[in-house]
Amino acid sequence: MDLSKYAALFLAESREHLNACNGSLLEWERSPASVEPVDRLFRAIHTIKGMAATMGYTGVATLAHSAENLLDALRHARVTATPAVFQLLFRAVDTLGGAVEGVAAGSEAEADGELIAELDAAASGATSGAAEVQAGVAPEAPTPSEPRSRRASDAPRSRPVQVTIRPGAVMRGARAALVLRRAEGLGVVSGLRPPTAQLERDEFDGRFFFRLQTKAPDAEIAAALGSGGEVDAVQVEEAAAEADGAGQGRQIRVDLRRLDALMKHVGELVVAKNRLTALSGEADEPALIELSERIARLVSAMQTEVLAARMTPVGEVFDRFPRLARDLSRDLGKQIRFDMEGEEIELDRSILDEIGEPLLHLIRNAADHGIELPEQRISAGKSAEGRILLSATRERNTVALRVVDDGRGIDRERILAKARHEGLAGGEVDTLTDDLLVRVLARPGFSTAKSVSGVSGRGVGVDVAMTRVRALGGTLEVRSELGRGSTFLIRVPLTLAIVRALLAEAGGERYAVPLAYVAETVEFDRRAVTSVRDREALVVRDQVIPTVHLRDLVSATSEAKSGRQPTVILEVGERRTALVVDALLGQQDIVVEPFDAPRGMPSFVGGATILADGKPALILDAAALL
Amino acid sequence: MNQTVLVCDDAIFMRTMISDILSQAGFEVVGEAESGLQAVEKYRMLKPDLVTMDIVMPDMGGIEAVREICKNDPEAKILMCSAMGQQALVVEAIQAGAKDFVVKPFQPSRVLEAVQRVLA
Repeated sequence: MDLSKYAALFLAESREHLNACNGSLLEWERSPASVEPVDRLFRAIHTIKGMAATMGYTGVATLAHSAENLLDALRHARVTATPAVFQLLFRAVDTLGGAVEGVAAGSEAEADGELIAELDAAASGATSGAAEVQAGVAPEAPTPSEPRSRRASDAPRSRPVQVTIRPGAVMRGARAALVLRRAEGLGVVSGLRPPTAQLERDEFDGRFFFRLQTKAPDAEIAAALGSGGEVDAVQVEEAAAEADGAGQGRQIRVDLRRLDALMKHVGELVVAKNRLTALSGEADEPALIELSERIARLVSAMQTEVLAARMTPVGEVFDRFPRLARDLSRDLGKQIRFDMEGEEIELDRSILDEIGEPLLHLIRNAADHGIELPEQRISAGKSAEGRILLSATRERNTVALRVVDDGRGIDRERILAKARHEGLAGGEVDTLTDDLLVRVLARPGFSTAKSVSGVSGRGVGVDVAMTRVRALGGTLEVRSELGRGSTFLIRVPLTLAIVRALLAEAGGERYAVPLAYVAETVEFDRRAVTSVRDREALVVRDQVIPTVHLRDLVSATSEAKSGRQPTVILEVGERRTALVVDALLGQQDIVVEPFDAPRGMPSFVGGATILADGKPALILDAAALL
Repeated sequence: MNQTVLVCDDAIFMRTMISDILSQAGFEVVGEAESGLQAVEKYRMLKPDLVTMDIVMPDMGGIEAVREICKNDPEAKILMCSAMGQQALVVEAIQAGAKDFVVKPFQPSRVLEAVQRVLA
């Protein structure tokens, strides 16, 4: 059998499992008494072992086998989870990760003999109690299916259970909670899927799975759980194990390049559709108009589906950060509690792939520059443990990603002094606003760290994050309070490829403004004009908003229209700008074309697109206009 | 002997309705409570076979009452009466020890099914 075509799958799945392993290890380390993380770890490592053995990657399989043995000993309480054991497991997961990447790159290394010996010693340490492990007598650890048959029949057995709530039942989540209560009456419940939070929000198809460790026979389990009310079916053991995977909603793996190609075609289809709509509008032919409307609806449905297929929860990228934070806190000698929120928020795959690195830099910065050493925190009247929160929230057509720390905050005086010194700020600037602050911090190479710490301090934190985020059409903001902490906020569009835009005209050219950043449109009324710090500003419902005239920006030569002009209020976070244009031409879905900005292209141009009439237009970068 | 019920709800309307459904099915409604506090006291006095418990009540809500009652009598058979959209609260009540729940608007058959399950 040709296995090479499975190599990519092996790599993708192993990475997923290893990522999950890190999460499980961290969770377990926090609460060593809980069984669920151990079970998850065991299953993940076991799966990797199986896959690697099938692929013939002996090195990976051998290492996974030893790790699995240790985990098996741990979950059956033959070994106690000590800090040393956790450290060993972290090392094993790291080494496995390296080995997996290695074989994927075509270079299978020998299994790390030393690590394997340590794992085996730790695993057998329990069976021989506190006694020294004698070389060569490490017992052959049981494979997961063996101990079951070996156990006495009256010992509790762990079995997979699948329960189906009757379709149409009200509050299926609460039903599930009742069933689980009953299960807990019989024994120990673990490995619940979907997780409790999802069940409670009714976000499941009526089926859920868990493992139940109990002495009760299968029939008794089925009877007890089945009488919980509104329960359609209870499957214990094998049947449930088979159905296990199906419960997550039937899924297939698709090569991302296929989705990209599909997206590209749909993008072109959208352009063609826009053109068709424009042409049929001119033709005044009812049959043509009807057909073009139908095609428009179909294309938009297709677009929605393709975009949805590309949406991926940010949790996939977040997953690696708890481990990072843990390692950082150890390396820096700080106590850091790292929390995450909104892992389920979804982003287009292509954006998600790009967002990991900026977040990495910001989290490093927060750990290194933000959070103080424990003794410093205590003398500042704070708890010894610092906190970093990584959160995702959906805000209109954008996703906001925040890295919040409760550390020392940014010392504006120091930044300002440094900025003056480097000529970034003139003498007239006496305070740094949040706006100015982020611009100074994002200057390439700007760092106030007194020494390079190996974690950060080379000045490639904020500027890298800023460049990446801007390239995605996103924005980076900072809020900081001295002594209280800082918040870095990345805002990115939900999707890159197709965006809804407002078309505006200035000086005879058309420009597209992404709708994600349009708060509203108003009319430019000369009587409502005032000025702030020598800049023209517009008063809109008691709010003073600085104006930008698109005509001036693009150096339009034609005569300006007199009187009232349409004005687009752009909003990025809390900052607003009133963009005055000659005319508004309506909304359109535009396909963002990859765009290598030629030299001299002004910074407010974020890309280009083809409009419905087949002619090109520039896309304005809202953030650059603020 | 008929099985006894304590009906807890702050609305007279709901108490009357539940009492009617249950007494027509042969239960004896031995008491009513219009607050969580009353529910706890009356449960202690009356030792009913079954309690129906509204979730939102003044002077100690239903969930707190479930917790109190189960503290003294882990075997207490409590049926939660919930409105639509209170799923999170129902889950909390179940974790506090409630044995089942019905969702308003009540269908007598549904209520009786749930009661049978709780008493089984």
